[in-house]
Amino acid sequence: MDVIVQQFFDLNVMRDNFGLIWDGFQQTLLLSLIAGGLSLVWGLVVALLRQLPGRAAAPIRWLTIAYIDSFRGIPLLLILLLVNGSLGALNGDPLPEWLAVPNWFGEPYQFWYGIFAITLTYGAYMAEVYRAGIEAIPSGQMEAARSLGMSHGQAMRQVVVPQAVRTVIPPLLNDFIALMKDTSLVSFIGFVEVVQAGQDVYQVTYNVSALTLGAIFFLICTIPLARVVDWLIARQQARYQRGGIDGPTPTETTSGPLGGTAGA
Amino acid sequence: MAAPGPVLELSGVHKHFGELEVLRGIDMKISKGDVVCVVGPSGSGKSTLLRCINMLEPPNQGQIILEGKEITGETSADALCDVRQRVGMVFQQFNLFPHKNALENVSVAPVTVLDRSKEEARQHATELLGRVGLSDKLGEYPERLSGGQQQRVAIARALAMDPHVMLFDEVTSALDPELVKEVLDVMRELADEGMTMIVVTHEMSFAREVADHLVFMDEGVIVEQGKPAQVLDNPKEERTRRFLGLVLEH
Repeated sequence: MDVIVQQFFDLNVMRDNFGLIWDGFQQTLLLSLIAGGLSLVWGLVVALLRQLPGRAAAPIRWLTIAYIDSFRGIPLLLILLLVNGSLGALNGDPLPEWLAVPNWFGEPYQFWYGIFAITLTYGAYMAEVYRAGIEAIPSGQMEAARSLGMSHGQAMRQVVVPQAVRTVIPPLLNDFIALMKDTSLVSFIGFVEVVQAGQDVYQVTYNVSALTLGAIFFLICTIPLARVVDWLIARQQARYQRGGIDGPTPTETTSGPLGGTAGA
Repeated sequence: MAAPGPVLELSGVHKHFGELEVLRGIDMKISKGDVVCVVGPSGSGKSTLLRCINMLEPPNQGQIILEGKEITGETSADALCDVRQRVGMVFQQFNLFPHKNALENVSVAPVTVLDRSKEEARQHATELLGRVGLSDKLGEYPERLSGGQQQRVAIARALAMDPHVMLFDEVTSALDPELVKEVLDVMRELADEGMTMIVVTHEMSFAREVADHLVFMDEGVIVEQGKPAQVLDNPKEERTRRFLGLVLEH
């Protein structure tokens, strides 16, 4: 029993390497927040492009569907390796260096490759969540807006999207939890975030306690988030049951590229 | 604005959804200030007719001329928006924007579509909500309003665009009986003020009292039309008689 506790919860290992793991986790948080924020915006853009009306917009709709299907169907790790393997090789021709080997805000190019890959993948997931939200808004809302002379874009902006976004906050948070865990994949291309930091310690000490510490950091963030999701859903349902404004909650909770949502 | 011709003229308007023919040749002329009530059994195409007039459902065939200019065949977004600004619509299910309060519901379109300033739009909205008797509900959200109050906000919302024609699509059908009168009273006032209105309704006494012209529709065509008293009391067509017999006697 002591051996097991010693292997996972060696307080000396944790204490000695706390700084390294904490530094790694800060990188994890930074990756999560930047990629999460970009995915939220990019996903909404894609969802809106997919909803464009009219025959003229058909090629755009078709492209967005192809994009969503592709990036939901390919593992994030593979996307990450594709980005990592290709961007550097395109440096100078045709891509300028600032884009091919970005070094923005003092973060190394691996960090930004990770941001690209995660945003591309999770943008596709979140686009589907937004779509479920937009389609759950009764068609009478769009009609009323159009009957007042609003264009499709104005009706989306003023009427449909503000209502849709409210209903999809819980599933988007679920996706964010999955995204946060998936930032660990960026370690594959040589970026030291919390998992890689823990693994580095393991390779010196042959003890996984530093990894356990990393896991604890994750749980400190993800468990409260999961509770927030539950609370928001319960609130929406209560509101819906007494005939409130939010309407049915889109129940679709997409799972992350590696198949896991931490929700509930 | 004193256009000599009718405000609205429909000729041979057809609409089908796939195989289903909903409108099979509608002709109509409506002059400024007219109140036209459209009655008929459900499925007769009354609502579709209104939705064609503001191009929510573009007709497949026929002509609609609004204030001297043909609107059928218009596909550009700007032209359609322009049509819908001049043709206000009120729906059976109210369709208020649930995330906006009464004042915002009424002022949002003038601000976004007509580029009015926020203050100007709010002032106008306050006046309109006063006109429909809701001065004390400006800040309320739709979920806290009764059906009758919601429908009156919806009327104010349509009026905020200064429409030249108002379409009412069974606006009292979703209301509890005791709330019907407050909505009809607002519509009666509008009619008295000279608004051009097309009213799809099952309220026969309202039609008799307020309409200048009554149209009976069935199976996508106009079966009979004329002065309300004449159509209601002495219907010429068998189908009209049958329908009125079902609606009036109970």
